[in-house]
Amino acid sequence: MAREIYAYKCRKCGHTHYPYRMVCKSCGENEHNEFDQVPLPKRGKLLTWTRAYSLPADFEVPSLGLAIVELENGIRMTGQLRVDDPRMGMDVRGEVEIVRREGYDERYGMVFYEA
Amino acid sequence: MSADLESILRPVDNPMPPFPAKHVTIASGEEMVIRQVTRDEIPDILPHVAPLIYVERDFYDVVAARVYSELLSYYRYRIQDAYVLVAQIDGELCAVVNGRMATPEVGMSLHTLAMRRGLRIGAHAFAAKMEYHMDIMGQQEVLIVAESPIGFRRWMIEYNLEKRFDVPHELGGVPSWALTKELFDRARATLVVGRRPVPEELLEKAHAAILPPSDPPTPPEDLLAATRSQYDSTGTALILQRWRQEGKV
Amino acid sequence: MRSVYVIGIGITSFTRLEYPLSEIAAYPAMMAMKDAGRKEIDHLYVANMGSGRVNHQTGLASAVVDTLSLTPAGAEAIENGPASGASAIKTGYMAVASGVHDVVMVTGAERMREVNNLEATEFVATLTHPLAEYIYGVTLPSLAAMFTRLYMEKYGVTERHLAMVAVKNQNNALKNEFAHLQQEISIEGILDSPEAMTNNPYVAEPLRFFDCCPVSDGGACVILASEEVARKVERPLVRLAGVGQATDTHAVHEREEPTDLLAVRRAAAKSFEMAGLAPSDVDVAELHDAFTILEIVESEEVGFFPKGEGHLALERGETAIGGTLPINPSGGLKGRGHPVGATGIAQAHEIVHQLRGDAGERQVKDAKVGFTCNFGGFGNNVVCLTFVRGN
Repeated sequence: MAREIYAYKCRKCGHTHYPYRMVCKSCGENEHNEFDQVPLPKRGKLLTWTRAYSLPADFEVPSLGLAIVELENGIRMTGQLRVDDPRMGMDVRGEVEIVRREGYDERYGMVFYEA
Repeated sequence: MSADLESILRPVDNPMPPFPAKHVTIASGEEMVIRQVTRDEIPDILPHVAPLIYVERDFYDVVAARVYSELLSYYRYRIQDAYVLVAQIDGELCAVVNGRMATPEVGMSLHTLAMRRGLRIGAHAFAAKMEYHMDIMGQQEVLIVAESPIGFRRWMIEYNLEKRFDVPHELGGVPSWALTKELFDRARATLVVGRRPVPEELLEKAHAAILPPSDPPTPPEDLLAATRSQYDSTGTALILQRWRQEGKV
Repeated sequence: MRSVYVIGIGITSFTRLEYPLSEIAAYPAMMAMKDAGRKEIDHLYVANMGSGRVNHQTGLASAVVDTLSLTPAGAEAIENGPASGASAIKTGYMAVASGVHDVVMVTGAERMREVNNLEATEFVATLTHPLAEYIYGVTLPSLAAMFTRLYMEKYGVTERHLAMVAVKNQNNALKNEFAHLQQEISIEGILDSPEAMTNNPYVAEPLRFFDCCPVSDGGACVILASEEVARKVERPLVRLAGVGQATDTHAVHEREEPTDLLAVRRAAAKSFEMAGLAPSDVDVAELHDAFTILEIVESEEVGFFPKGEGHLALERGETAIGGTLPINPSGGLKGRGHPVGATGIAQAHEIVHQLRGDAGERQVKDAKVGFTCNFGGFGNNVVCLTFVRGN
């Protein structure tokens, strides 16, 4: 089953948020949970990226690629980046994968690859 | 002691190519010389290692105590196929690194002890040691362990060392990690830095005298405070405090 | 509202400190009481970010007020991430300005070196968005790095500019006996020499080791008082003339313009407006240079230089001690160190020294107006303070 990461679309004004917030940033009038879940697109352009070498203690890798990607629908998101030679503006595709293990808990998130 | 018995106790060193001295520009812009020292120079180094035995932060105590014993063993012929490199700035001792040729193919990295901090001097000294094993001795791999979390992060994770957990390391018998030739070549750009030959003037200054470190790590000034903080996991502060009360230090 | 004055200041060395957190908060408080020449305190605010998580101690304000034997004065801890310090000063300001209290002590402390640097990085990373950032391994340096890359592309900032900030601030710190880093660095050593890549490796591309502030322990304190009290204190008058605070989206990727730090712009504008001053009036500033890029960007966002031209002012030497607008004469976070809860107060501590004219070797000549910017999260909660000499 393909996993998804959801954005939250305001039922009143249609503004889409990622990540979730309880009051719409655009119309500001929503009651709690008055949002529709919409899957984030899996394609976008690389807005900016880094390769980080000083990581939290639970990452036992030498370095980690991180990126902010502008998705097809204009929403931006942060994710991990697995591209050998990243260039700003390049096309990337996302996969929902395990991005972190905290004890026995597995955290899923978006990992971007070259499109 | 009879001369015969000493000849049994004293190991016979296998031939090892010498480490050719090199120099690097460190972050402050100063020139640092990394060179191999001879047995004769060990007594000039020991007094600068001894005070660090009482610095518990970052496991300086364990590392310094072990380095002291290794240097002394080297001086008094109780360790085989060992070498000692020092890093000096204007003669000032900034780091001591040592290791052993365990077999012709395998090197045993012993310690990296930095005496000036914040300028990545330890990184340069460690890199020189790896260069010695790989490029100069021509070994296949170097076995490494870390006492401190900082060391672990820097070497095991940064260079993605391979596990050799079936081999107990000479330091504490703990599982070993290995820097292989392949990993070394991959990290060559950061591991093998520095220039040769060292300008005559720099080298002369380094050989003239091993000067004391100008700003070595020290134990906390307020020893009582250290014990109050419940952070005295090794008891060092308590021991030092008792000695101070007894007028021993 | 009443006018509010700083009547006493104190600070610890910023380094690794081997005594308990409550004492790191109390020691500068004792210095500040000595500086002010009075021990009567109506209320205590303690700025701290990580006591519960890093030091396994909660209710820090109660511990500190008792350590100082100031009971039964009221006491609270203020947590606003790395902007806790300035937030606590702002709260103290409101308490005095409103007339509720006459003398308020604001002390900040952090003891981050109790854990190793990996855990410290992890601790600070917990202020990122838990689901949209933190789970990916996002740290503050990586957010700053992604921001830097955009800034370089858009405005032509280079690694050389970043190194210039690092050298300026770390070498300013040599003139500050309380600063963490007491090692001179040079452009040659961190950028140009053949060994520079090993001396100054990437922490998060394109940010390098010397672009990042050290992890420090430390405490700092200011005592705020009403005019009536301040006039009795034998210290040059320094007035806290403006406080401004603004917030921005929690997740950095949600910012409308990814190269803007709107919260800095808005917090600074509020602070200047309250003080009735303009950015051009400022003689000396302490900006939140947790990463070298931030000094450049903040110097633009607060209004000292046009957007995209902060690095040009840096090139011209305007932000050096002796320049037209010295920034971070104390060494900043980069040189003085960054015990997160204490930083905002340490910035104010430096500005008070500068305005009193007793900053020693790093004194900015004839400083009359000082400004601080304390940056919480990655620009999602910013507090700016404006100080003036005399009335």
